[in-house]
Formats: sequence, structure tokens, C-alpha cells
Amino acid sequence: MAARNKQTGLKQRLSRSDAGHGQTIKKVNKTRAITKAMPMLEENRSAVEEDAVEMERNFALFNKRNVMLAPEDGKGEEERNPGASDDEHVEEEEDVKEERYMKSSGDMSGSDDDSYYYATDSRPSEDNGVAAKLHTSDELQRGLSTLSFEEIIRLQNKVGTKAYNKIAYGTMHNKQTAEPVKRLNKHRPDEISAKKSVPFLRKVVPVKKTILRDPRFDDLSGDFRPEVFKQTYKFIDEIRQREAQTVMKKLKKVKSNTKREKLKSLLKRMENQERAQKKQEQQREKELQFKRKQRELVGQGHRPFYLKKSDKKKLELGEKYNELKKSGKLENFLSKKRKRNAIKDRRKLPYQHKKN
Amino acid sequence: QLNRPLVLRYLMFLCSPCVQLVAPDPAEIRLLRGHKLSVTCLVITPDEKYIFSASKDCSIIKWEVESGKKVQKIAGGRKGTEDRHVGHTAHILCMAISSDGKYLATGDLNKLIMIWEAATCKFLYKFTGHRDAVSGLAFRKGTHDLYSASHDRSVKVWNVAENAYVETLFGHQDVITGLDCLGRERCVTAGGRDRTVRVWKISEESQLVFHGHEGSIDCIQLINEEHMVSGGDDGSVCIWSVNKKRPVSRVKQAHGLQGRAGLEQPFWVSSVAALHNSDTVASGSHNSAVQLWKCGQGFRGLEPLFSVPVTGFVNSLKFSNSGKFLVAGVGQEHRLGRWWRTKEAKNGLYIIPLIRQNTEQELEQ
Repeated sequence: MAARNKQTGLKQRLSRSDAGHGQTIKKVNKTRAITKAMPMLEENRSAVEEDAVEMERNFALFNKRNVMLAPEDGKGEEERNPGASDDEHVEEEEDVKEERYMKSSGDMSGSDDDSYYYATDSRPSEDNGVAAKLHTSDELQRGLSTLSFEEIIRLQNKVGTKAYNKIAYGTMHNKQTAEPVKRLNKHRPDEISAKKSVPFLRKVVPVKKTILRDPRFDDLSGDFRPEVFKQTYKFIDEIRQREAQTVMKKLKKVKSNTKREKLKSLLKRMENQERAQKKQEQQREKELQFKRKQRELVGQGHRPFYLKKSDKKKLELGEKYNELKKSGKLENFLSKKRKRNAIKDRRKLPYQHKKN
Repeated sequence: QLNRPLVLRYLMFLCSPCVQLVAPDPAEIRLLRGHKLSVTCLVITPDEKYIFSASKDCSIIKWEVESGKKVQKIAGGRKGTEDRHVGHTAHILCMAISSDGKYLATGDLNKLIMIWEAATCKFLYKFTGHRDAVSGLAFRKGTHDLYSASHDRSVKVWNVAENAYVETLFGHQDVITGLDCLGRERCVTAGGRDRTVRVWKISEESQLVFHGHEGSIDCIQLINEEHMVSGGDDGSVCIWSVNKKRPVSRVKQAHGLQGRAGLEQPFWVSSVAALHNSDTVASGSHNSAVQLWKCGQGFRGLEPLFSVPVTGFVNSLKFSNSGKFLVAGVGQEHRLGRWWRTKEAKNGLYIIPLIRQNTEQELEQ
């Protein structure tokens, strides 16, 4: 019911506007009012009406009667591309067309068709001639004032509401919001309007937002360099030593067995870690020494040579042998090694049957 | 009416380098007592005959300068008697007198501005419209335009002769703590914690924003049409020029530090005053002294001249128009609250005569 009432309202408005070619602005306002009301009548669409709409749209596309479209054609084409705008115009047009169909079924469309045909035949040359003259917005607006209401709607649909509003109203909005004048000298104070009221939620004291960053993954921390890391975090080794000492002390005092075992394992772990660290450091040192030697040789003029991995292993073994000899554990080490080797070799021997 | 050319000549005499302000004899400083609680604000009439002062007991007293006697007193009412009582019922924060000495305007914590006839102390009008305490009032020189600033962050323009409200200006982000105006149709306000000083061009409906202090800006006075002096609770006194967005010169901890060793805080500057069109500036705090400063060439430096011993919180300072004396309104508490209370202080007005001496002329290159 409400929809039908709205439609009657539209009818009245259309009839009134058709009565005379009055002022541009009034007409334009009416079109705007109608286009705003259009989306609400979406639900009343039916298949037949949609076909009719499609037809009218095609006619509108071929319409060359409206002279002012000539310079704007390029724009119109571009604005046709986004699908959304098309849908809107479909809604606008369709309801206006609905009106016409209700008024007089065939007459209006018939007359329209005729005019369209005339348009395609006779007008093109005239269009171009006149198009060249119409450049200023004033002339465009005057041209708009000569159109009837239906033509304006058709123009709007073809060109798009945005472009049409620009022609019809000009660039009023830009004039209203004047940009703040750039300061000549940055040392001068800001000049701002005194009439804008301050919002309730305002920033009185600047509060700094704390940015959390993980130095492990942050680019600011740079790349990992073991010597730098070792230097800066040397204090951790001291802490570890102290902790090992406290664990040892506790171990002496502890009474319960479970705890003693825990502490023992902990202490052992700590000692192992320390040993591993020391070993790594020694290796690094050796490598550095080797590199330094190489550099010296290069400095003297010899060509540098690099050890193979197997050679490196042999060298390590030789050093280990020397160390063990010094400490006196060589025999122990060697016997264990022989045992291990024996077991491995036995596995590789061929399978022998058990003799009864 | 003052003899204008004579005053100007006198001021020129003051500004010449051979004349220096000298500390007055402590015996010549007069204390006018009569207020029961701390004096919060004061104004000197343009003919320098009378002083109006207001205090936390909501009373306004008119003093005669020469004799030091009370001419008239507008008593303060108790809280809750706003409809019956003719006068203020809440702390009076600011006062202003028109340049012809006709109207006196007072603003209080109850969002009211009261207009009185200065000669007879008769109540004329009440301006309502502010939505929070009125913290600054000033008349435009030569007119009856009143500018008011309030804790609701707005500046309102009123016409007292026609008992009318003109317009409101917005911009401050925090409460406005002080307002001053000279002859031009523009006023300057100090906006507490938002640390800005704003010059309002009323006819153009625009404002100039200056940034400076570190703490809250508590008081501001115009020195001449281009420069102003302000004091803040970070203890600093700043001189501003209209052409620069930052202070032209600044003195940090102008009144020294207070508190225990290791927890030192600067003394808050509770009031500033400037001798109109000269280079002398005064600042007051609660470190038992009113400090007088001399501005350097082009207002670029600020050197201390001398200090006048005054116990208590110097809540208001005003130079007389001709520069003959300086009046300090003193109380036991700060005018805006009760953070401290100095028991030894006396609530009243100190009239400090300013003496000039001819120093030997130094030839400058």
C-alpha cells in the first residue's frame, strides 16, 4: 500500500515537471529527490518490468539527441564500467518507466522510439558542431535547462549521477571547504578557526603508545655474530659458575635421596654444558688461528690452501691423542675404542650357524 | 582622566637605559588587610585612585590607594543563597574593570559573571551562559566589550553597555586559566594543561596557537600589542611574541625549587604582571618574594631586576597604568586550590612603590 502511494506521488511530481521548462535548479532537485526515493521501491520489480528496463537502457545508450553528452561521452563510457552504478541507474530508470507504463501503455514509448530513430539518422553532424561550442559549465547548465524531465533522467542514467551533479551544480563543494592557507614561515603560529567546537573526547596530554618488540626477531638487533654475542653476554657465564657452586653446596647439605639425585643430575648437566661450551670455544679459536696463519702466508706471497674435512679430523685425532697421553688416560681410551671396533666388526662378519 | 601625553612621556623616561627600577625600602611597602581568606584577584582603577580586590570568602572590597582604607565592601554570601544574596556565593576567580572606570566585572566558580558599577559598587547585571567556572575576564580598552574565559574551554564575548551576549569561541583543549586584552579586538588566553597560549582574533573568527610550557600554564598578561608574558606550574616564566609559535625567551625555575633534597620541584608561578608598553615584568609565587624582571632587547632575554619580600601565595599582581606602584594580592593558599597553606602569611594587598633611579649612562657600541 505504501508503495502505491509513493508511486502516485511520483506521478504527480512528473506531471508537474512536464508542464513547463522552468528553472534548472528546481528540476534538478526533483530528480535528486526521486533518485533518493528509488531504492526503496526495489521490491516491486518483476521480470516483465526488468525486460522493459533493459530495452530502455539500450535506447539510452544509443541516444545521441542530447548534445551535451558529446564532450562527456568518454566519461559516460568509463563510468558505465563499474557494475554497481549500473544497478542503481536500473532502479531509478525502472520506476520512472513504471510510471509511464501505467499512464499510457504504448504511446509514450512509441513516441520515444520515433525520436530515437530521428536521433540516429539526422543528428550526428549537428551534434559535433554544437558540441564544440559548449565548453563552459554555464553553457552546459543552460543547455540542461532546455531539457525535459525525462531527458534529464535519461542523461543522468547514461552519464552517471556523479558526473551529472558536477555539470548541474558545478564544483560548489570545493568552494565551501577552503583549504587552510599554508604558513609562509614555519616558525609562525598556526592559525585555525575559532568557531569549531572541541569534541568531548580530546587529547589533552599526549600519551605515548608503548611498542613491544622482541629483540630476537627484530631487524634493529642486526645479525647474529658469535664473538659480539659472547662479549656482551659474558656475565651469564659468571652467573652459571655461581649457580654451579650453589648447587654443589646444596648437594653437600641435602638429606633426602630423591633430591640428591635430582641435584646430582642437575650438576652433571651443568658441568657437561660448561665442557661443551669450552670445547666449542677451543674449536673456534683453532679455526681462527688457522685462518690467521693462512692470511700471513698470503701476506708473504704464498698461495692459501684449505684443509679437507678428513684432514681436519685427522688433526683433531692427533691432538686428542696427545692430550690423553698427557693426562694418562690413553690406555683406557684405547681399550674402549678397540672393544667398540670389535663389536662393530663382529656384526659385519657373515652369519655362522650354531654348532651343537 | 589621566593626562595621556604626560603618561607617555613618563613611560618613555622609564624605558630609557639611564633609568633603572630599584628595590624599594621594605618600610614603604604597605599591607592592606581586610579579607578573611586568601585574596584571589585584584584590579586597579584606570585613574589609580582605587583598587578592587576579591578573595576566597566571596567578598569584593574597594580600597583607596592613598589612605589605604576600605571604601566599600560587597560581602560574600553563603553557599546556597544564590537567589537571595546580591553578590557572589562562590570563590571569585577573576575581575576586570573597563578603561573608563565605569564597569567592574567579576567571575566566580558558580559560572556567573556579575557586572557592577565601579563608582558606587551597585549591582547591575548577571551574565549566565558559561558551563563551568569563569576563570578569566578582560575589557577591551576604550570599549565596553567584555571577554570571558571559562573552565568549559570556551571564550565568550559580551557587550556590557547593552547587557548582551555576542558570541562564543572554541579551541582550547583544557580549562582556560587566564585571559587578557588590550586595545585591539583580540584577546590572549592561557590554556592550562594543554600547554597552549592562544590569541583570538575575534573579528576574523580565528585563533593563533602557540606552544611552549612544559607544565600547566596558569597566568598570562599582555605587555604590549605584540608580546605577552606567561607563567606556569613548571616554574617557568615565558615571554611570547605574536610572530613566533614558541616563546621568545624563557626562564626556568624562576622562583627556585622547593621540597626535600632529591625530591625538588619548582615553585609554581601563580601570577605574572607586565608594565604596559615597557620592558618590566613581575612574577609571583609562594617563595616569599615577588620577582621583577627586565626584558632584553627585542624581548629576547629576561634578567632578574630585584625581588620584593612578600610571604604567602602571590595570587595576583598588577602594575598601575603609569607604573608608579605594583599591587600584589596575597593569601595563605593558592587561588585555585589548597595544596599548601602558609600560616605565617597575611591575607591582603601589598602596595609596592616603584622607584626609579638615574644610573650612569653607558655608551654602547
